[in-house]
Amino acid sequence: MALAIPAPAPRLPFRFDPSWPILIGFSAALCMLILLPLSWLVYYSLHDRAGAFTLANFAQLVTDPSFLDPLLTTVILATSSAVICCLVAAPMGWLVARTDMPLRRTVRALVTASFVTPPFLGAIAWELLAAPNSGLLNQAFRAVTGAEQDEYLFNIYSLPGLIFVIACYTFPYVFVLVANALDRIPADLEDASSILGGSAWTTARRVTVPLAMPAVLAGALIAFMQAMTLFGSPAILALPAGFHTMTTKIWSLFQYPPKAELAAAASLPLLVLTILLLRAENFVLGRRGYSVVGGRQGNPRLVALGRWKWAALAAVFMVLLNPVFLPYGALLNAAFSPVASQFVTLGTLTLHNVEFVFFELSATRLAFENTLILCTSAATIGTVMAVVISYMTARKVIAWHKALGFLATAPVAVPGIVLGVGLFLSYTRPPFVLYGTLWILLIAFVTIALPAAYQQLYSAFRVVNPDLEEASRILGASRLGTLARITAPLLRTSVIATWCFIFVGVIRELSAAIMLFTSQTKVISVLIFDLNESGDLGAIAVLGLIMLIVTFAVVVLINRIPGFGGVRLRNS
Amino acid sequence: MAAAEFSRRGVLGAAGAAAMTVFASPLRAAAPEPAAITPDLIAAARKEGKVVYYTSIDLPVSERMAKAFEARFPGIAVRVERTGAERIFQRIGQEYASRIHAADVVNSSDASHFIVWKRDGLLAPFVPEDVAKHYAPEHKDPDGQFASFRAALSVIGYNTNLVRPADAPKSFADLLDPKWAGKIVKAHPGFSGTIMTATYEMSRDLGWDYFEKLARQRVMQVQAAADPPKKVALGERAIMADGNDYVLILVKESGGPVEVVYPAEGAPLVVGPNAVFKAAPNPNAARLFQCFCFTAECQQLVSDISGMHSFHPDVKEKPGRRPLRDIKVMKEDAAAVEKNAEEIKARYTKIFRV
Amino acid sequence: MASVELRNLTKRYDAVAVVDDISLRIDHGLLVCLLGPSGCGKTTTLRLIAGFVEPSAGEIAVGDRVVSSPVRTLPPEARKMSMIFQSYALWPHMTVAENVAYGLTLRKLPRAEIAAKVAGILATTRLANLASRHPGELSGGQQQRVALARALVVEPETLLLDEPLSNLDANLREEMRFEVRRLHDQYRYTTVYVTHDQSEAMTTADLIAVMNGGRIEQFGPPEEIYARPRSEFVARFIGAANILKGRALDGGHVSIAGAAVACNGAALTPGADVAISIRQHEIGIGADAADPSPGPRENVIPAVVARNVFLGNSRDYIAEIGDGTALRIVTAPEHDIAQGSRVWLRLPPQRCRVLER
Repeated sequence: MALAIPAPAPRLPFRFDPSWPILIGFSAALCMLILLPLSWLVYYSLHDRAGAFTLANFAQLVTDPSFLDPLLTTVILATSSAVICCLVAAPMGWLVARTDMPLRRTVRALVTASFVTPPFLGAIAWELLAAPNSGLLNQAFRAVTGAEQDEYLFNIYSLPGLIFVIACYTFPYVFVLVANALDRIPADLEDASSILGGSAWTTARRVTVPLAMPAVLAGALIAFMQAMTLFGSPAILALPAGFHTMTTKIWSLFQYPPKAELAAAASLPLLVLTILLLRAENFVLGRRGYSVVGGRQGNPRLVALGRWKWAALAAVFMVLLNPVFLPYGALLNAAFSPVASQFVTLGTLTLHNVEFVFFELSATRLAFENTLILCTSAATIGTVMAVVISYMTARKVIAWHKALGFLATAPVAVPGIVLGVGLFLSYTRPPFVLYGTLWILLIAFVTIALPAAYQQLYSAFRVVNPDLEEASRILGASRLGTLARITAPLLRTSVIATWCFIFVGVIRELSAAIMLFTSQTKVISVLIFDLNESGDLGAIAVLGLIMLIVTFAVVVLINRIPGFGGVRLRNS
Repeated sequence: MAAAEFSRRGVLGAAGAAAMTVFASPLRAAAPEPAAITPDLIAAARKEGKVVYYTSIDLPVSERMAKAFEARFPGIAVRVERTGAERIFQRIGQEYASRIHAADVVNSSDASHFIVWKRDGLLAPFVPEDVAKHYAPEHKDPDGQFASFRAALSVIGYNTNLVRPADAPKSFADLLDPKWAGKIVKAHPGFSGTIMTATYEMSRDLGWDYFEKLARQRVMQVQAAADPPKKVALGERAIMADGNDYVLILVKESGGPVEVVYPAEGAPLVVGPNAVFKAAPNPNAARLFQCFCFTAECQQLVSDISGMHSFHPDVKEKPGRRPLRDIKVMKEDAAAVEKNAEEIKARYTKIFRV
Repeated sequence: MASVELRNLTKRYDAVAVVDDISLRIDHGLLVCLLGPSGCGKTTTLRLIAGFVEPSAGEIAVGDRVVSSPVRTLPPEARKMSMIFQSYALWPHMTVAENVAYGLTLRKLPRAEIAAKVAGILATTRLANLASRHPGELSGGQQQRVALARALVVEPETLLLDEPLSNLDANLREEMRFEVRRLHDQYRYTTVYVTHDQSEAMTTADLIAVMNGGRIEQFGPPEEIYARPRSEFVARFIGAANILKGRALDGGHVSIAGAAVACNGAALTPGADVAISIRQHEIGIGADAADPSPGPRENVIPAVVARNVFLGNSRDYIAEIGDGTALRIVTAPEHDIAQGSRVWLRLPPQRCRVLER
């Protein structure tokens, strides 16, 4: 047999291609980031304290009312906030995308503002506003109506109160999805309905709304997941009201003596539920969402609201009072008032809180430094990882690129607190003792940020013609050289936007940080949370405002980048 | 099981020795020689440049203490890590399990923590001169590992805008009156060492059914013992069922609409010791700070600015404040708290549902 | 010497063979066209040669080096090739000059030499005055010339072109065909040119490989491919041809719709099913049913005109013969026969080519 084969031509000398180890290294890092903590989570949940295999943790989970109640509460909470979000955000999205309501850009900017506001900060602000007795709104209500001492309009320390506050900071998810979908519905679909005799109203009802439904549904699922996995707001509002959600319950299991096994077991339902919801979202969007909304022909046609447009604008601003104007006002008031629950006047205005935060509070500096270090490095590392991974998957560089893409999106399914628990379990034991260093927080933040960053860059890669890269390869540039010289510059705006996106996301992260920080590695969000524990509202207000200023500075920066979102690079 | 390594294990073995009180003398006392603030110590501390103080003392008070130390010993920065005593305990446990030694000096309002730390060999034997000279034996560890830095009481308080003094509750029993339903705020033994200690003393003296009845009053549940006084001061709730006396006193002295009530059954006494860690990253600064904490100067300052009670005989209470000896208190028993902590938290969580 | 040789080259995606056991040798300095309809595997073959795709089986040798094989593939950047893409793939963030200089920069040439070479090629491609423009500001033809300049300036051993003219309008396309050929004659590198346009292939190529279904149907000079298609596919694809099916009567005649047709090509086995091809303009058509056009009666078949379309410089007929086959015939415009008329079709024997497959 072998004799029949013609003499082989001279073989290539072995040629080392450095891009391979790098690509494989990234894949391995991804496995470490995600698979390691999740494996420990599962391992712990199935073992008792002595390390013997057991199902007792799960048995306790499904029989003990102190676990069942929070689970039920969480489901109620998540469902109601999702419903509220849709009811509020979908019409708002329509008004902004499809009508001639005035100030539409301003409204979008204000929604962005509520989007980047840390939910725990919003919760504290709403404590200031709507605590039943000391809340500013309730005081105003009593002053106006002359109501009795202990009568109140709002009680934020309640399940409805918590649902409300969570909805305030999750509705932007629905809004953005719906508004973007409506932006992209081509006008000719609506024109086709009109030419067949559909009135503006019929067209909206029969064509526009059904086309936007997948976005609404997807938004509802995201809102549900956000509400389900949020830690800060429930920790601030549910404890005083005397109930737990799953996230606060998991957190409380780390009180002395820590019950890591139970915490791991309690994390798994959140994980499973999130995975199911993500599958549902894929199903919803996969079936009809993007197939229709993909095209981009002509500008959307705006519905003329006539004299209703001012009413619509007023309604929108009424909604925006809740996540933006009122809380920011309350924080400003608390920052400069001697007593957080008093309306500040020129006579009582004080800089005491500012002084306290900057000159007395010894943790301020460290927390700011840590936060900035983490934001910058997480944004940089996360962006680089997202660029390389989305390059590998979009260009199908390696055989198992699908698995890689899946891994990069997988952290979406891991709620922050669950990831926190998993990382805590993974990195407090040899061989990787990272607890107590900024590294463990960095790992957490990068992991949390990766899915969104990856998705963003993946779609950016998809619009860059692969020919542009191949032209560089054939002219003599290596794979990595091409990535650096051609692809990265072409994706410049997307890359910068992703960087800023991660930066802003990391500033507001609390749920994983709360599990992983130590005194040396405290970040601002945790500092605020600690201050809330002892009721130092004035200091929180000052820190919170600084945090918002930094966040907005970054957001404004993104919008100032020339060409961001507007000019698209030509490929042909 | 890294996270669980620092359990309060060996309860049975330790129980015999610790049965009486924290400070019960064991067979041999092995306290080191008392240490004074010497120029050598200051110089060595200055070389380290900083000291990290884990404490559960209310932040404005602990930060001012830190500033006083920094003024007295320039060049040594104090970083205050304030959080509830139970969270401090949890955090130090987690950190030590991962071999992170960040804390230099610790103060906790749950004295039982020091029993555990001492048993686990975490504390450095170190006796400041003032402790040796001025502190009564029941306020210092016979092995010289910790001493009572301060005492506070968990008291009842009310907002004078919302409650007339005549109507105000006089005792814990009065809080069960239906008219206070929905108007009470209290802190949580899962976070606060003060409340942990107080909850033990009250469950011992009043019985757990007191808490069961209190839970039916729809109390607002906050975390730190410093928070109920602030919520009462804000007017968020009219009454506090527990919480630090000293924070309430501070609010009152600064003109806040609050009043302290020392309950007829006795106010739970909460002693907060101070100790230096053996593995302190800044050992000299830690020792200097510990010395400073027990000087009459610091003790007087803390007493003045905070209204906490000092065991230093030279400290004079500010006029208008009621000295500890004139108040009926519930007896402290750190060893019993140490033994029962887990059960207390579990039971409390069951009753109050958080 | 940069000859390019494909040996039993195969590329499968999952189970589907996109390129199926191709063997081809291109000698140094020749311009070879891979010609075929979309999906025939020609672009994949080109990308295999470029090194963007790894073969499933077989190998590619350049000169005497094996550059691609299932076990090892030399990355594209190490192949000393250039490529011109259908999309041109000009980098929008670089100027024309920067685009062109890119490959030279990678070769780490001295700055002055780069400038000189860039200036030279821009002059050759008549782009000198556009050097500082960005690709987005250029017309299609200008972009195409930048792509050419960028590919040529590095003096590759092998030049690959992937449908380089398909985005241009008709006039420009014709002009650029000659430009490509002129530049090839000037530099004489080995060139592989992928196209689906047969006239483009005819005008530029030294040799044409007609591809279908991942295989090479026929490989030869343009004249030979045109004159002697070996298969029905090639006959239909290269120049519009009619295919007639029948049964062999003897070594040189086929029975089609009852008529005996003499044809040209390989000897036939009597009784075998046979297909012959004849081009549209090679068929004579006569209107008079009684008296067909003058000349011998051989190879004349009766038919009915099904359609008659005036196209300006020609006339286009569809005529149906007895077995139902519709033939397409092109005549001079003035040769007008009404639809529905009975006609005679004359198939000159030397134009009736027997197809091998």
